[in-house]
Amino acid sequence: MKKCLFLYLCVIFIASSVSAQVRVVKSTDRKITIDLSNLRTAGDPVSQTFLKTLEKDLRLSGWLDPVRGGGEIRVNGTASPSGSDLKAGCQVVRLNDQSTLLSKSYSGQSREVAHRMADDIVEAVTGHKGIASMRIVLVGNRTGKKELYLCDGDGGGARQLTGEGHIAIGPNWGPDGNSIVYTSYMRDFPDICRIDLSRNQRTTLASYGGLNTGAAISPDGKDLALILSKDGNPELYIKNIRSGKLTRLTNSPRAAEASPDWSPDGSQLVYASDQSGTGRPQLYIISREGGTPKRISSRGTENVAPDWGPNGLIACASRLGGQYVIAIIQPSNGQMVYLTSDGADYEDPSWAPDGRHIVAARSVNHQSALYLLDTVSDRPVALLQGSGSWYSPACSP
Amino acid sequence: MKKSASFVVGMCVLLAVSSLTGCKSLKKNPAGVSGSDGLYGSDGANGSFAMGNRFTGGTEHPGVFAPIYFDYDSSQVADSERSKIDTVAQDLKQNDAHAVIIEGNCDERGSNEYNLTLGERRAQAIRAYLAGLGIGADRIQTKSYGEEKPANAGHDEAAWAANRRGEFVLYY
Repeated sequence: MKKCLFLYLCVIFIASSVSAQVRVVKSTDRKITIDLSNLRTAGDPVSQTFLKTLEKDLRLSGWLDPVRGGGEIRVNGTASPSGSDLKAGCQVVRLNDQSTLLSKSYSGQSREVAHRMADDIVEAVTGHKGIASMRIVLVGNRTGKKELYLCDGDGGGARQLTGEGHIAIGPNWGPDGNSIVYTSYMRDFPDICRIDLSRNQRTTLASYGGLNTGAAISPDGKDLALILSKDGNPELYIKNIRSGKLTRLTNSPRAAEASPDWSPDGSQLVYASDQSGTGRPQLYIISREGGTPKRISSRGTENVAPDWGPNGLIACASRLGGQYVIAIIQPSNGQMVYLTSDGADYEDPSWAPDGRHIVAARSVNHQSALYLLDTVSDRPVALLQGSGSWYSPACSP
Repeated sequence: MKKSASFVVGMCVLLAVSSLTGCKSLKKNPAGVSGSDGLYGSDGANGSFAMGNRFTGGTEHPGVFAPIYFDYDSSQVADSERSKIDTVAQDLKQNDAHAVIIEGNCDERGSNEYNLTLGERRAQAIRAYLAGLGIGADRIQTKSYGEEKPANAGHDEAAWAANRRGEFVLYY
């Protein structure tokens, strides 16, 4: 997986030096065909939901091509309802050598079983981590107020998480995948809050005078990166969650900082700042100990909303020719490539845990929807659209 | 030992001088409007207008004063807007019990999170101007709404211009 993405990025980074805007071309990776016709399911709605979900998950993984009959991989098994839940079992066989790659049984809610089975199959067949079991937190406005929502990796199972009736924005996951930090106006001013999903508990992490926003929890879970204006101007800080100790990292009286995110090893932060003096934000990296920030975005009139992925690459929204396009930056050398654009604005990218896909908000005519983007070959896919607009998605780790 | 003592004396002199010049530059040239001096006076000490705790115990009174409008991507208070801030300063000078919350707003263009900080900078620029007019910074709070609270729901130049603003909410 790593090798493949690395090779792929080498290709596009080399290509980027010759062409102004790189279009992601079809990778040489061929999709592996997988036959689902021997997975026996009943005709009831629970079993059919399971089968449809599984097939979509396998396709969205990017590595597999589900087929009926033929195929290089065959899935044998059964799925049947058990109360309102589902019981299923599968055996995954590679046909050329008849080796069994996976043999496992499952029970639970039908969509959840499908997601778990899809990720197991993807990993057994390709060695790559799947994205079907991930959850996405995002902002929706269908109630007339901005609230947080959760949905599954395929965009299904959307459910409202907050009902504050004010403004809830900028959600990010804690590294445990069990908590969400965000900016809440529930107490009239922008505060940083955390929701513990298992206990269904909400706590306030920062409510200083002025602005409290941009929350991002460090990979070890101990520190919170945040933007505060308590000293008279928006600056980047780190707050130790247990002790409450606050460390200020930037000192930019003429600029505003926004959208910090941690490097995978937690030693650095990337953020947006307009300190270049142009009034247009660009991306900078700073050590978690502070020091002189280093600008890393080299192209585009504006670069915002960085997301430092588990693969070490930074995705961001880059303004190019009046449009926001998703770009990927290699932080070690600052090289920047653009994902294919279809004329819509793409904003707020977040890497999926497979390091291959990115979710983002895609907007056309002031309507925004949740999309899944592939850095290898597939076209953008709508995961959630309609019922108002959807913004600022973040993938669970 | 000697070295550190003379260092301390030197720092005291420096601080005294800089605080004097800081005051002077603020009175002559209220922060938030100048070119080379930036938002917070020539010493760049943005900490001098640090925020106090949020107000409690009073009531918000919005709509008493006219909003301050800003140029695209700018947090500089334009000359044409200054007299509106002077009016607010008059009220605060005449009513010791009054405080003000400045709400910073942006147009819808640009990143949501960046607009939150831009809105805050607009509010802070107005706050610094008020402080430069002699209003205690502890009587002025800021609240950024970024692009979340447009005054005009349209998507054209006129709507954007109406939305790039700082609003005063009187508090007492």
